[in-house]
Amino acid sequence: MSLKPNICVLQAPGINCDEETAFAFESAGAQTERVHISQILAGERSLEDYQALALSGGFSYGDDIRAGKVLGLELRAKQGDELNRFVAAGKAVIGICNGFQVLVETGLLPDGHISDRPKSAALAHNHSGQFECRWTNLAVGRSVCKFAGQESLGPVIELPNAHGEGRFVRKHRVAYGQLFTHGQVVFQYADGNGRPTEEYPDNPNGSPGGITGVTDPSGIILGMMPHPERFIDTMQHPNWRRGEGSRPFGAIIFKNITQYLKKM
Amino acid sequence: MAIHEIRVFPKDEDSEAEALRQQTRSTFGYDLDVSTARVFYVEDVTDPEAERLATELFTDPLTQSVRLATRQHWQDSHTVEAAYKPGVMNPERESLEAAAGFLGIKPKAVDSAIEYHFAKSIPPEIVSKVVKGLLINETVQHVRRHRPETLAITGKEGPVETIPIRDLGEKGLQSVAEKNNTFLDAAEQKIMQEYFRLIGRDPTDAELHAIAARWSEHCGHKTFNAKLFVNGQEKAPLFTRIKETAHQYFDEDLLSAFEDNAGVFRFYDGQAINLKLETHNSPSAIEPYGGAMTGSGGVFRDILGTGKGARNILSVDIRCLGPLNLPQDQIPPNCFHPIYMQRRTTDGIRDYGNRMGIPTADVELYYHPDFRGKPVIMVGAAGILPEKYSQKGHPEYGDLVVAIGGRTGRDGIHGATFSSGSMTAETATLHSGAVQIGNAIEEKRMSDAILEARDADCIRALTDCGAAGFSSAIGEMGEGIGVRVDINRAPLKYQGLAPWEIWLSESQERMVAAIIPEKYEEFAAICRKHGVEIAALGTFGTPEAKPTLNVTYDSQQLIDLDYDFLENGLAQREMAANWQAPAISESLVAINDWSSLLKNVLAHSNIRSIESTVRQYDHEVQAKMVVKPFTGVHQDMPNRAVVIRPLMDKPYGVVEAHGLNPVLNNIDPYKGSLWAIAEAMSKYVAVGGDPDKAYLSNNFVTATPDEQVMGALDKMVDAIEDGMHALKRPVFTGKDSLSARYIEKDENGNVTDVIDVPPVLTITAIGKIPDVAKTVTADLKKLGSTLVLVGKPDYTGMGGSVFYDIAGATSTRVPKVDIEQLPRTLRSMHKAIQSGEVLACRALGRGGLFTAVSEMAFGGDCGAQLSFDTNADADRQLLNETAGCFVVEVVHSAEADKLFAGTPYQIIGQSVPQKTIKANRDGQELFHEELYELKAAWKPGQEAV
Repeated sequence: MSLKPNICVLQAPGINCDEETAFAFESAGAQTERVHISQILAGERSLEDYQALALSGGFSYGDDIRAGKVLGLELRAKQGDELNRFVAAGKAVIGICNGFQVLVETGLLPDGHISDRPKSAALAHNHSGQFECRWTNLAVGRSVCKFAGQESLGPVIELPNAHGEGRFVRKHRVAYGQLFTHGQVVFQYADGNGRPTEEYPDNPNGSPGGITGVTDPSGIILGMMPHPERFIDTMQHPNWRRGEGSRPFGAIIFKNITQYLKKM
Repeated sequence: MAIHEIRVFPKDEDSEAEALRQQTRSTFGYDLDVSTARVFYVEDVTDPEAERLATELFTDPLTQSVRLATRQHWQDSHTVEAAYKPGVMNPERESLEAAAGFLGIKPKAVDSAIEYHFAKSIPPEIVSKVVKGLLINETVQHVRRHRPETLAITGKEGPVETIPIRDLGEKGLQSVAEKNNTFLDAAEQKIMQEYFRLIGRDPTDAELHAIAARWSEHCGHKTFNAKLFVNGQEKAPLFTRIKETAHQYFDEDLLSAFEDNAGVFRFYDGQAINLKLETHNSPSAIEPYGGAMTGSGGVFRDILGTGKGARNILSVDIRCLGPLNLPQDQIPPNCFHPIYMQRRTTDGIRDYGNRMGIPTADVELYYHPDFRGKPVIMVGAAGILPEKYSQKGHPEYGDLVVAIGGRTGRDGIHGATFSSGSMTAETATLHSGAVQIGNAIEEKRMSDAILEARDADCIRALTDCGAAGFSSAIGEMGEGIGVRVDINRAPLKYQGLAPWEIWLSESQERMVAAIIPEKYEEFAAICRKHGVEIAALGTFGTPEAKPTLNVTYDSQQLIDLDYDFLENGLAQREMAANWQAPAISESLVAINDWSSLLKNVLAHSNIRSIESTVRQYDHEVQAKMVVKPFTGVHQDMPNRAVVIRPLMDKPYGVVEAHGLNPVLNNIDPYKGSLWAIAEAMSKYVAVGGDPDKAYLSNNFVTATPDEQVMGALDKMVDAIEDGMHALKRPVFTGKDSLSARYIEKDENGNVTDVIDVPPVLTITAIGKIPDVAKTVTADLKKLGSTLVLVGKPDYTGMGGSVFYDIAGATSTRVPKVDIEQLPRTLRSMHKAIQSGEVLACRALGRGGLFTAVSEMAFGGDCGAQLSFDTNADADRQLLNETAGCFVVEVVHSAEADKLFAGTPYQIIGQSVPQKTIKANRDGQELFHEELYELKAAWKPGQEAV
């Protein structure tokens, strides 16, 4: 096995952030292959040959029916067992934006595995009813996530968002509470003081509690609406000329995943 | 088996209903009690299968509830289902059917729609007003009145018809032209008739349409190639003048100009950059959503179809619309209110660009009442491609003609000829075939496949199917070599198309490639991987001595025409040009209330913030933008140019900006066009662009040419030539769209109203820089820094300014750009930015110095103290709009002296910590405005449009 972890960056109709996601992993010292889902279904590629799976942003299958639904269903129906084995082996999965929506549709988030039970979360239309592209503050939770914790990121980070369906919905209050008690809340939208918020525009989608990054109970699957691959160097920050963005937080997340895989 | 109806209801937030409530409030001023449901129709599945689809596919149990029941009361006026018309492809159908397949269910067909439930308390006439005005666009949608019997779109294929024209007189020819919507004039009909007399047969319907499309204004650019008589004096054709002048300034980096789908220049590291702007005015006028979407899709395919394939890296959105506050009774019949027009075109550009993953970052919305009849919807894009693939490919003998991507349907028939005609109140009904709903995912897949096939050297030549579909794509590729195809091999969306319709269809998301025969299998495998459908339709090269366009439908001959006739048969037009200056009186303007004037300037529709529109675009996708649309303390100050770093691990940059000023063109097309050039160049230089590396695009939109319009075009082209000479930089791409006239007729066919758009010239500047670190934004960076005005404003020219518009004043004296000085100012500014001493920079434009300083202060969240001397009136110094000047922030006035020696400049003030903007003149205070109040005027609330 090579020293560089091998990442499968999945392509599917309408996925459109695979190039920059692959680049972010490569910059972090991983090696990547952009694998089309049709190659997996045709048996030309197999998930088991990779140490991590990245589901990047975009509009898989046009976000028809709802965001992430069709690709989520396809993965459940055709790669459900493979994905369960993948995560059972402790391999990493990251879903960004549309990738997060896909992970929620499969059930991998927040539950950690694919089962026949109804899924337990949804990413619904933004409260504003509009697609929103903007940078926000994120409070970093004390979570079990193995690659996005306060020790490397600090208490508050900044990342850009770009989505129309990012409001994280669960069935009832208790279900939200469970995520916090189990350490599954990784990121919450935060105001200028770093406090979680539900106020627009600091929270662009109206997500309850500002929840916008979630992990599974074992901390190896990370789903997030903001885009870490869009902030891996300072010049990607809108205000680098004002001295902001000196810590590209996205790069830290990709490095953490790569480090985790190297130690596996 | 029957059709199952499934209705899905939102449990928590009903975002569709909320959107409609917002629109109803902003358009009609009502508060509406309405809720929605998604309706799915599934044909030929069992009850348990329908149940499974309902719960596992269509419904999210956490946010939605579901009901399987057939609708009973189809006559209920308060339940309105908005469905696509039969024959208009719902882009969601394909995913719905695929997804059902993942559950192991194979319905015959699936369709979806939205159902609106209006509260019974709402009067029926209000429901019908909302439905007609906001919900249903009758061009593509209808209110479903009864249960569909089948979802399958079927039909019988039409025959190949021969159209007898050889024995017709002038009247007969005219009636053939009208019946077939060819838009050919009498002389052109005659040329065609003579050709068929010569070859001794009559044309088929397909031949007639193919000739009409090839000779249309859209494809043939008859006006730009016409012999011109300006006030009786002969002048070279407009296009010849642009090309010949441009040629003098082609440099070693220019790779392709005027011959491919886009202009191309050399970048770094073996890469090249291409640029193209297009308009999609006519389709957008009758179906704003589909029109804008397919406009974006078309220009992205132009970029993709340049050379042997390029990847899109930027989307440009420039729209000219009627004012949003226009009273409903001033909207011409069959035209949309500008609010609807803006919202739906925004939706279309958003849905195409975002889904393709192309950042829409250079955005301008320009308002003027004369765009109420016909809007200008300009879409542009830039791309990157390896230099070795940057030349336009030419098919070789035996290469395969391969159709790639979407299937062919009855979409956009007559788009090419339609865009050549004026818009009338009847247009919407007559030409509804000219629009369709785009499918961005189809195009994204196709783009991925083509770029992979390009890198595998499968592609010899490539072009997109735009106006006139296969007819223009295959027709033009076959020039010089000939081509034979069997159009019956093209995959169809549904049966029932006549052969000529297949040939002319403008179904989106299709490209045509010349594929090297030995590479066909490899090409097919790449397309399979990406789920892209292809079909080999024939081969390039015909054995005859003279190349022919030879098209069959199975064994029936559809088209057999000499290329010589198609390309050269059209006689050069002769057109007279005679521009009459409009009668404009000279106003005297006195200011008695600075405070309200300044707020009115910032709140002016052509100045105020359009952040709520731009944030709907994913301008961060691809992660390459290093000067973003918004920067500053609150990330809400607009930068009016973009800088992209297309190679992620390299410091090289692409800089892009545009300029336009339709109002000035109305008053003086020459000065207005110079202004557009100066604006584009100064916006480009203000962020760090190198004026000596810029390439220009010129895009023209005017009313249907008469002597006045031709006269304006002549002056606009004069300005472009003078601009190129002054800057020593070439135009390398462009487009004209000369039909932006709205005509209203009464029932007897008499013209009752004509609305011409002001002549629009959009100039776009694009170029490369070696290091994106040497770029600047416009937000003020430091307190106590020095503000400098660089350049030489023409204070005598206030006509056409925002200030005059607000004051209701007019003047023929518009700002004259000093084109001798312009290149010197641009170079001096560029050098200053390179030195690293410029903290912030903004090009002077609409709203003048005051607007520039205000926005810079909003960005720095600080104040500014301005002082003026008595050289000119204060209002002129603050509100003059001469393009080609800059407001610059430097640390200290000593820097200004050092940086701008030899260039006209003037220290105008300082940044200050107090959040106010103050101005003094000779020590006397002119005004003193709170920053937050100015900002409130400039930045409307979220619920704009």
